[in-house]
Amino acid sequence: MSRRYDSRTTIFSPEGRLYQVEYAQEAISQAGTAIGILSTEGVVLACEKKFTSKLLDNDGSAEKLYILNDNMICAVAGMTADAGILINNVRVQAQQYLKTYNEQIPCELLIKRICDVKQGYTQHGGLRPFGVSFLYAGYDDRYEFQLFTSNPSGNYSGWKATSIGANNSAAQTLLKKDYKDDLSLKDACNLAIKVLSKTMDASSLNSDKLEFATLSLSKLEKGKTVRKIWKDEEIDLLIKESGVLDEKKDDDE
Amino acid sequence: MNSIAQKYTHTNNNRILNEITSARDGLASTHQLELAPSIQLPPISQPTDFLRAHTDDATNPDCKIKIAHGTTTLAFRFQGGIIVAVDSRATQGNWIASQTVKKVIEINPFLLGTMAGGAADCQYWETWLGTQCRLHELREKERISVAAASKILGNLVYEYKGMGLSMGTMVCGYTKKEGPTIYYVDSDGTRLKGDLFCVGSGQTFAYGVLDSEYKWDLTIEEALYLGKRSILAATHRDAYSGGSVNLFHVAEEGWVFHGNHNVGDIFYDIKEKEKSFNNVDG
Amino acid sequence: MDIILGIRVQEGTIIAASKAATRGISILKDTDDKTRILNTHNLVAFTGESGDTVHFTEYIQANIQLHTMRENDLELSPSAVASFVRNQLATSLRSRKPYQVNVLLAGYDVKTNTPTLNWIDYLGTQTELPYGAHGYAAFYCSSLLDRHYRTDMNIDEGLKLLDDCLEELERRMPIDFKGCYIKVVDKDGVRDITK
Repeated sequence: MSRRYDSRTTIFSPEGRLYQVEYAQEAISQAGTAIGILSTEGVVLACEKKFTSKLLDNDGSAEKLYILNDNMICAVAGMTADAGILINNVRVQAQQYLKTYNEQIPCELLIKRICDVKQGYTQHGGLRPFGVSFLYAGYDDRYEFQLFTSNPSGNYSGWKATSIGANNSAAQTLLKKDYKDDLSLKDACNLAIKVLSKTMDASSLNSDKLEFATLSLSKLEKGKTVRKIWKDEEIDLLIKESGVLDEKKDDDE
Repeated sequence: MNSIAQKYTHTNNNRILNEITSARDGLASTHQLELAPSIQLPPISQPTDFLRAHTDDATNPDCKIKIAHGTTTLAFRFQGGIIVAVDSRATQGNWIASQTVKKVIEINPFLLGTMAGGAADCQYWETWLGTQCRLHELREKERISVAAASKILGNLVYEYKGMGLSMGTMVCGYTKKEGPTIYYVDSDGTRLKGDLFCVGSGQTFAYGVLDSEYKWDLTIEEALYLGKRSILAATHRDAYSGGSVNLFHVAEEGWVFHGNHNVGDIFYDIKEKEKSFNNVDG
Repeated sequence: MDIILGIRVQEGTIIAASKAATRGISILKDTDDKTRILNTHNLVAFTGESGDTVHFTEYIQANIQLHTMRENDLELSPSAVASFVRNQLATSLRSRKPYQVNVLLAGYDVKTNTPTLNWIDYLGTQTELPYGAHGYAAFYCSSLLDRHYRTDMNIDEGLKLLDDCLEELERRMPIDFKGCYIKVVDKDGVRDITK
């Protein structure tokens, strides 16, 4: 009887832990790495594509990068299907705010709203927590460029550079070493490639295994942002220019 | 099939029904013979619309139901507290229904509510307000402020806005925090704090006397007299106000009743003493 | 009939709201304030159906203050406030019992350092104007303001123009509105400058 009750609810263990939430976090640490870096000119999000196959009919759209509204994008680590629910919800919330206030929703407020949903699923009976962490890149006129993460517990935090998913601690060590406050967007892109090339198991780095997005300010319209999810050719070019392939070759020899 | 149904439902063939019908015809009160219990409902879909259509004097002077409306009530703040004075006439159309109505509702020993508009509405909701104030007292271990009490009533009537409530009331009281305080609350949902209000069909006549002689520094005696005199003025000129004047004084220790003064009795005394009402002989 | 008037000048926005609270043929109060402060740089003035006016504005005020609290004292901009109020009125209009409230919103946008005046009626019409009024005041003052308003006016010139408007109202309106409360919203927030 009690077992049935336990399995239906997220409740504290005798040691004061919420196993369901921890399991969800564990599931995420198996997922492909996603890293985000803040620069003076914008934010970079880069993710590792775990499942690639020649047979996969890919129309070129990103799997783990989503546009939330006119000034936010996010990267997903974990269960993409779960993420879909939250992203749908958050897009509606952002539009609703825009409708009532005729103004873009501040980044942190939008994140707070997703996290409230996430938190709810760690507490109400009969529901499984969302198995996703997010990396958010955003811009608003109060804090300008911002980078946030959130996890299945519903906690969120702001960062200059961070990573989620597999090998995230290794990635963060590398970021801590190489991050500087005055990075340009180009520098940030190169740093992202460099970190990913070291944390990913794959022997050769190419656009098949990477997704890349940047958020920067529009040069045409003041206060407007450009959200760009990169095409394969652009990613390959970036990899080539960054010189990480040469380094890899050197290491191999 | 139809004929069978008719056989058992047609009144002439139904022995029991025949018996009842004949018995009913022989009695003055037919309702007592209903077999099944039932509740009376108005045969209309929208009671509020019905009420409005049949009670609204302003749009339809021929309306069949006249709610008690005519009144004069007043309350004012002065140096010695608050004076509350009201008349006691209840009218339904041109008919004087009563000359001895209590238009001041004693919510609790520190709060008074006055009554203008629908007598039933005021009486019901102000006693209801009394229970709310007592509950507040039990919960907060402190007497309710006049502001809060009037807001409870204001919010309540606002919920019923447009549904036929008719009230014009002054919530008067004294608390340590606020001192003597008067709030005007009406069924539109208006709630105003103020020093001096007159409400009801005779309000203009009461304002006429009250405004001309009102000063903050009035003594309690003077203030009581002014309150009484203002209501008298209204009862004299307003056909829908009359009967007697009920007088109250509110101060730190709560309210004190200062008597019921029959208009017929005091009129000539006051006329004599003041040398006023010179349009009246005698 | 209540009077509310607003004039936007270079450094801020001026609002005038009549002091009389009238019911039927009596003035019940001559110190009635028909404005509410929404946050440090936004002020609303209202007219309309008695009961609805205060209830609606205090509801708006509570929601905007709640927003301020939730957002770590980040206050809504005048345009966001205007959109919010418009949205509420538009939603209400399509309900069983619509609010019959017209408002003027005086605001100062601290991000762009611009004063604003928003005119919104109970139908949900919203416009940003240099000057505006609701009710009878609009009939008397619109032409006067059309004639004498200049875009480069400062607060003092604005107040002078407002005085001309009020003088005209007192001269021509058949009812006494017991004077006006005059308030200014500028970079320093809301202040009462009633004489």
